[in-house]
Amino acid sequence: MSEALVATQAAGTGPALPAASGARQFWRRLWTQRAALVAAAVVALLVLLALAAPLLTAIEGQDPTTYHPSLVDSARGGVPVGPFGGVSGDHWLGVEPQTGRDLFARLVYGARVSLGVALTATAVQVLIGVVVGVAAALGSQWVDQVLSRLTDIIVALPLMIMALALLAIVPSNFPRPLLVALVIGLVAWGNIAKITRAQTLTLKGLDYVSAARLSGWSTWRIARRELLPGLAAPVITYAALLVPINITVEAALSFLGVGVKPPTPSWGQMLTAADVWYQAAPQYLLLPAGALFVTVLALTVLGDGVRTALDPRAASRLRVGTGRRQEAKATAPVATEGAS
Amino acid sequence: MRQPSLTARRVAAASVGLVLAAGAAACGPKDNDAKGAGGDSTPHKGGTLTVLNSNPQQDFDPARLYTSGGGNVPSLVFRTLTTRNRENGAAGAEVVPDLATDTGRPNKDATVWTYTLKKGLKYEDGTAITAADVKYGIERSFAAELSGGAPYLRDWLIGGADYEGPYKDKGGLDSIETPDARTIVFHLDKPEGEFPYLATQTQFTPVPKAKDTGTKYEEHPVSSGPYKVVSNENDGERVVLERNTYWSASTDAERKAYPDRIDVRSGLDSSVINQRLAASQGADAAAVTTDTNLGPAELAKVTGDKELAARVGTGHFGYTNYIAFNPTIKPFDNVKVRQAISYAVDRSSVVNAAGGSALAEPATTFLPDQKSFGHTPYDLFPAGRSGNAAKARQLLEEAGYENGLTITLTHSNSRDFETSPEIATAIQDALKKAGITVELQGLEENDYSDTIHDVKSEPGFFLAHWGADWPSGGPFLAPIFDGRQIVKDGANFNTGLLNDKTVNAEIDAINKLTDLDAAAKRWGALDKKIGEQALTVPLFHPVYKRLYGQDIKNVVISDWTGVLDISQVAVK
Repeated sequence: MSEALVATQAAGTGPALPAASGARQFWRRLWTQRAALVAAAVVALLVLLALAAPLLTAIEGQDPTTYHPSLVDSARGGVPVGPFGGVSGDHWLGVEPQTGRDLFARLVYGARVSLGVALTATAVQVLIGVVVGVAAALGSQWVDQVLSRLTDIIVALPLMIMALALLAIVPSNFPRPLLVALVIGLVAWGNIAKITRAQTLTLKGLDYVSAARLSGWSTWRIARRELLPGLAAPVITYAALLVPINITVEAALSFLGVGVKPPTPSWGQMLTAADVWYQAAPQYLLLPAGALFVTVLALTVLGDGVRTALDPRAASRLRVGTGRRQEAKATAPVATEGAS
Repeated sequence: MRQPSLTARRVAAASVGLVLAAGAAACGPKDNDAKGAGGDSTPHKGGTLTVLNSNPQQDFDPARLYTSGGGNVPSLVFRTLTTRNRENGAAGAEVVPDLATDTGRPNKDATVWTYTLKKGLKYEDGTAITAADVKYGIERSFAAELSGGAPYLRDWLIGGADYEGPYKDKGGLDSIETPDARTIVFHLDKPEGEFPYLATQTQFTPVPKAKDTGTKYEEHPVSSGPYKVVSNENDGERVVLERNTYWSASTDAERKAYPDRIDVRSGLDSSVINQRLAASQGADAAAVTTDTNLGPAELAKVTGDKELAARVGTGHFGYTNYIAFNPTIKPFDNVKVRQAISYAVDRSSVVNAAGGSALAEPATTFLPDQKSFGHTPYDLFPAGRSGNAAKARQLLEEAGYENGLTITLTHSNSRDFETSPEIATAIQDALKKAGITVELQGLEENDYSDTIHDVKSEPGFFLAHWGADWPSGGPFLAPIFDGRQIVKDGANFNTGLLNDKTVNAEIDAINKLTDLDAAAKRWGALDKKIGEQALTVPLFHPVYKRLYGQDIKNVVISDWTGVLDISQVAVK
């Protein structure tokens, strides 16, 4: 965050913040952003698809694991028979090469694993990262040193090797998807902690935080009331980017045999298996890739929308909740928000 | 003595790809009714042949190479006492003379083998090749610093177990005699009718003692074949070969040696190799690969293109992928459970998982389906195309598992379409229909190999594969089913832990035969007899499909290697 921006925030919209804070204000600001609303709808739809996977596949009359050898051309390497990778009334999105398993069923069941693991892992990462980051920034120098070095070590450790080691020692009867989510969460929170610490240090120096401190507020109250709203923007933005990373980490771990076990489908596994088929059976690759693309895009746009709604400066441009909306409408066109 | 030999065998099994890489190339009729892409199909001398490979020609020293039949690239430089017949199909699985005048003359019980060298044999520097050089070449392979070759010489030669090579033990190995410059005699400690097959390996290459530079010999080995090494970069990553002018076709009936120059480039990704061969641009038009098959997705693309499809060579290598049981672990101690699984397996899904009917053939016998192995067709637990779930359920009921059964299948996580997750899930799906719930245990490749080859950690039910060092029943059956080859601490290949006196005795009896056709028949019969115990469920034999460039002519693919033989290829 640049000096100028901080100055604007402090001088220009600072006073409006207390009046405009609160969940209600946030939702009103979010509501004005059409892209964010569409993204939210898409994310909701994806989650719904994942939750309704058994119902949807029952309607289709398929399941994600049954082989259909008659639906692939064995003499041609097992490429699906029929147009568009074997799309038919029975198999809405075609079938998997070599096995003939139903791709629609694998895609919606795969969403359960991929989204579930990635979202849970992200939640764990954000929780640990924010707590460590804020504690490092607000704690004594000694606490900061210890926590910052710990963060450095976590960032420096190779994620995959750590995850492999952790996954290898846990008994195999522990629920695998939950375990994968926890492991990813526990070994990859370093960057969130770093971002949080840096942002907290910036915010700590601002006038309104100083004012709160001079008023005799406790550190805990300052952190909760004054710092967390300011942290939300960078943390949520970064978390939205962590989700797709976590999806691919899950895929890599599954590929190495310590993640989700076959035949349970996940998007990552589908992508890994499909990469060689991009010419012979393109839809096999495009389906999980498309699903991942839509998910990442929706989460990023939604994350950006949330950030905007949480950012007081952006909120003033949106002329929401500042009490100056009517006035602004009369004088100037609504400025579009450029990400800063 | 047994243990090192088995360790080496495991290395061989684990690197069959490498063996092949070293070994051979792919495909097409020798009589050329199927044409190189343009007009004149008669092979001519000249030009440069490019070889695009993923694995380098590592340790290019005849003592250190572990090859089947002398290898493919190595065989251009190293001649051996005998070699493989460079013919298409089954004829190519025969052993023929190379440096020697015949495939060897045994004594009555096949414990003494005598060879005579042809006249006029020369190295690349024009000096004569002698029987003493062949003896010295074999002795070198016993040196610890030149390890890597197959274990057989150590196992078979009298005194081989304790011999430490010519650098430490100047006296040499007494069990190899060279009464004159053209005669060499081997004394074995037991009857080995298949000695002529062993004599195809590069350890039987002559090495002139005066030119031996020890571990540095691999940089410039002295050629006895049609090509000599001009340069060798990064331990075989790029090897350039040019004509050895002292080689004479009149002493070599097997190698054609059409190109003037052979440029072997390695370290390439398999998809890159196949893309380049498909595009066939520039130097790649005169290119082949000796180690990269077409995968299922690549095959799907190639078969849709007539021009490409005409440039695919197809070959069969003696190799079996199977399910292995450990009968000391419940419930696999019950033969009915093993039989039930044999009935329940769906070979059409397994074949599809392995790449489809063009890349895999369903197997019901442990021996590969080739004549030289003595293949005797049998299907003791007929599962049909897609499994016999009803029969499997009935057997399970008889075994006391009327409410079904839950078992764990161990497999590797490599992407080889052999012991990989694709095959495991196909089996899982098939057994579900018979009421058997299969849980999968996927292990990292090295972990998997260590786990299944140690009797202490060997799982009850796992995927395995086996390929022989030469196309015969002996090296295919003995390591897997000879009870005396069970090893207690690691490197055990007899995973069924079979120690059956009649089986052991029959193996000994067949090893005494020097009539290889007669031996083959008995290996086939033995395979069927062992099959009755249902210690394995044969799944499929792989088929090799390889692309070659537009200018490639005279494609020969034998059943010995299953891949195109570089010594036969022409680019003009």
